[in-house]
Amino acid sequence: MRISIQHLTKIFPSRTKGGKEVHAVEDMCIEIPSGKLVGLLGPSGCGKSTTLFMLSGLENPTSGKILFDDQDVTTLAAEKRGIGLVFQNYALYPHMTVQQNIRFPLDNMRIKKEEGNARALDAARLVQIEDLMSRKPNELSGGQQQRVAIARALVKMPNVLLLDEPLSNLDARLRLQTREEIKRIQRETGITTVFVTHDQEEAMSICDIMVVMKLGVVQQIGEPQSIYDDPNNLFVANFLGTPPINIFKGRIEGGKVYVGQEAIGETSYDDREVYVGIRPEGFVYDAHGAFTLGVDHIEVMGRDKSVVALHESSTKPTVRCIIDSDVVLPHEATQLRFNIKPYKLFLFDAETEERLK
Amino acid sequence: MKFRNRKPKEVEADLVLNDGVQLSRKEKFLRAFKEQSGWLFVAPAVILMLIFTAYPIVSAFINAFKQDLRMTSLGVTGQPMYNGWGFDNFVRVLKGDTGTGGANFLQCLINTLVFTFVSVPLSTLLALLISVALNSIKAVQKAYQTILFLPYLTNSLAMGAVFATFFKIVGTQSSPDTVGIVNLVLGWFGISPIDWMGLQSPAWQLGSLSIPWAKYIVVIVYEIWSGLPFKILILFSALQSVNKQYYDAARIDGASRNTILWKITAPMISPQISYLLVTGIMGGMKQYSAIIGLFDDTMGHDYDVGTIVGYIYQYLDSSYTGYAFAASLILFAIIMVITAINLRVSNKRVSY
Ligand SMILES: Nc1ncnc2c1ncn2[C@@H]1O[C@H](COP(=O)(O)OP(=O)(O)O)[C@@H](O)[C@H]1O
Ligand SMILES: [Mg+2]
Repeated sequence: MRISIQHLTKIFPSRTKGGKEVHAVEDMCIEIPSGKLVGLLGPSGCGKSTTLFMLSGLENPTSGKILFDDQDVTTLAAEKRGIGLVFQNYALYPHMTVQQNIRFPLDNMRIKKEEGNARALDAARLVQIEDLMSRKPNELSGGQQQRVAIARALVKMPNVLLLDEPLSNLDARLRLQTREEIKRIQRETGITTVFVTHDQEEAMSICDIMVVMKLGVVQQIGEPQSIYDDPNNLFVANFLGTPPINIFKGRIEGGKVYVGQEAIGETSYDDREVYVGIRPEGFVYDAHGAFTLGVDHIEVMGRDKSVVALHESSTKPTVRCIIDSDVVLPHEATQLRFNIKPYKLFLFDAETEERLK
Repeated sequence: MKFRNRKPKEVEADLVLNDGVQLSRKEKFLRAFKEQSGWLFVAPAVILMLIFTAYPIVSAFINAFKQDLRMTSLGVTGQPMYNGWGFDNFVRVLKGDTGTGGANFLQCLINTLVFTFVSVPLSTLLALLISVALNSIKAVQKAYQTILFLPYLTNSLAMGAVFATFFKIVGTQSSPDTVGIVNLVLGWFGISPIDWMGLQSPAWQLGSLSIPWAKYIVVIVYEIWSGLPFKILILFSALQSVNKQYYDAARIDGASRNTILWKITAPMISPQISYLLVTGIMGGMKQYSAIIGLFDDTMGHDYDVGTIVGYIYQYLDSSYTGYAFAASLILFAIIMVITAINLRVSNKRVSY
C-alpha cells in the first residue's frame, strides 16, 4: 500500500495555563511507495512516535492529510485502517498466552476458531516462536516478546506495518539479529513498513528509504547511502555515521577552504565563515599533506586504524581519522599531515548550518 | 539515612570480631538481648492480640462444648454452671431445638448466604461498571469521585434508618396518608404499594422457614449501595494504574468496547476484583449492623431476616450463652471453608 503524508502537523496543547504548546510534528510531507521499508530516524523527542500514532489513527493530526493508496484515512478510526502496530514496549496482554495474544485481532474480526488458530500458527512460524504458543508474556525473553508483538501485528495481514523502536529493548547481539529478521519478514510479506528508531546505524542498515527528523521537522528524505554521502545540513551530517563526522570551524577565502591557516580544499562559493565537515574515512595520510593534525593516540582495530587527533579549530574534543591498517605511519610522530578526499568534505554555512553543495 | 544504615553493620562487625573470644556473662546477655530485641517492638501488639483475640477464641472454643451452660446461674465456685461436656450445643443450634424461641439458626444461615452471595457479586459488578465510566470521563472526575465516596463516611445505622424511611409503606408521622419514596415511584408504574419492611411484608413459606423476599430486596439493595464506595475506590485506582498502551493496542487490534472491558480491563484488575470478592464475602458472612439499622434488634418479624452474627448476639444476651459459642464456631468453620474455596478459585483465575 502506498502512503502519502501531506503537510501533517501535530500540536499538543500545553498542560499548564500559559505554558508552551508542543509542536511535535510540523508540516511533514513524505511519499512512501508500496512495499518499501521506511525508517523514521531522529533523536529522542523529535516526533517519531507521534508520526507513527497519527499513521495508525491513535492520534488525530492537528492539520494535514494521510492517504493510503488514494483513500484519505486522516479521520478514519484506528481499527478500520488495516494497520499493524508494534509498540515500543510491545504492549502484550499479560493475562493471555502467546497464542491468545496473536489471535486477539482475529477474534475481534470474528474469524472462526480453526482458521484463527491456523493463521496464528502461520504468523508465529514467520517469527519463529511456534514452540512458545502456550507461554505467558512474562515467561518470555525480550526478544521473544518482540517477536510475539510482530506476529500479533502481522496476523491480520495488515496493509501497513508500523514499528516503534522495536529493537531498543534488546541487547546488542539480539538487536543485530532481529533487525535482519525484520528485514527478512518485510521482504517475505512485502508489507509497506514504517520503522522508527533513534539509532542511525540501525536505520542505515535495513531501510530502503530513510527520513531524518529534528524537532518535528523533516530534515532529509532519501536512500541511506545517498543521505550519508550528500547530507542537506550540519544536523544530518552530524547524526549519520559511526564514528561521527569531524566538524571544524573554517572559512572560504578566494575559492579555497581554510581551517586555521591551512587551505585544505577548494570551492566555488563566495568568501564566508563555514563549518567544515570531514568524514573520518576522508583523510589520506601524506607526509606533505595540506592538513596538519596533532596526534593524541592511535587505535588499531585490525582492518583499519584510527588516528585520534587534536586540532584547535575542531568543534569536538578530538578528531578521528580512519586509515587503512597497511598505511605505515612514522613512529612516535606528534604531528601528522593529511590530504582530504574532496567528496568526503562538506561545507556548511556558519549561520544557517545549511550545506553549501 | 547513611548513618542509620551504618549502625547495624558496625554492631555486626563487633560481633564477628568477638567471635571465638571468651565472653563474660554480661556480654553474653547483652548479645542475646540485641539479637532478640525485635520482640520488644512487637510486644504491645502481641499482648493486645492475646487479650482481645486469642483469649476470646480459646474461651469460645471451650465454652461451646459445655452442655447446658447458663451464664446467669452461678455455682458454688462463683463460675457459671454447666452440665458436663459434649456436642449438645451444636446439635441443638443446628436442629433449631434451643427451647427458647427467638432466632432460628437455619433461617439465619440462609438469610446470610442469600444476602452475601447476591449483594457482593452485584455490587462488585456495579462498582466495576461505575469505575470504568468514571475512568473514561475527563471533566469533574474528582467531584464524582468525592460524591461516590461519601456513603463510605456515613454511619451504617444512620444509613439503615434512612433506607427504612425510603421503603416505608406509610409516610411520616406528620403526613401518615403518604407512602415511602420507593412505593411512590412504583406507583407511577401502576404497582400498588408493598409493605417492604413491616408486619404485612410478603414472604414465601418453605416448611418451617420463610423467605421474606420483600425484606430480602431491601437488605440486598442496601448492601449493594453501601458496599459501592469502597469497591469503587479500589477499582478506580486499579484502573488508573493500568498502562494506557494496552487500550491503544486493543484499539489497533479492533476490539469493541465490550471486548475491551471483559477481555482487557477486567483481567488486568482481576487481583483487585478478587480481593473485593473475597473480603466482601467474608464481611457479608459477618453482617449484622445493617440488619439492626434497617429492622431494629428484632431483626425483622421474629428474626426472619436475622443473620448468623445476629443469632450469636441474641444468645449472648440471653442466659443460654452456650448456643452463641457453638454458633460462632460454626460460622468460623463456614467462613473458613468459603474463603478457602474463594482463594483456590481466584488463584486459578487471577494468574499473571
Ligand atoms: N500526549 C502528549 N501530550 C503532550 N506532549 C506530547 C505528547 N506526546 C508526545 N508529546 C511531545 O511531543 C514531542 C514528540 O514526542 P514523541 O513523538 O514521543 O518523540 P519520539 O518518539 O521521537 O521520541 C515530545 O516533545 C513530547 O514531549
Ligand atoms: Mg518514541
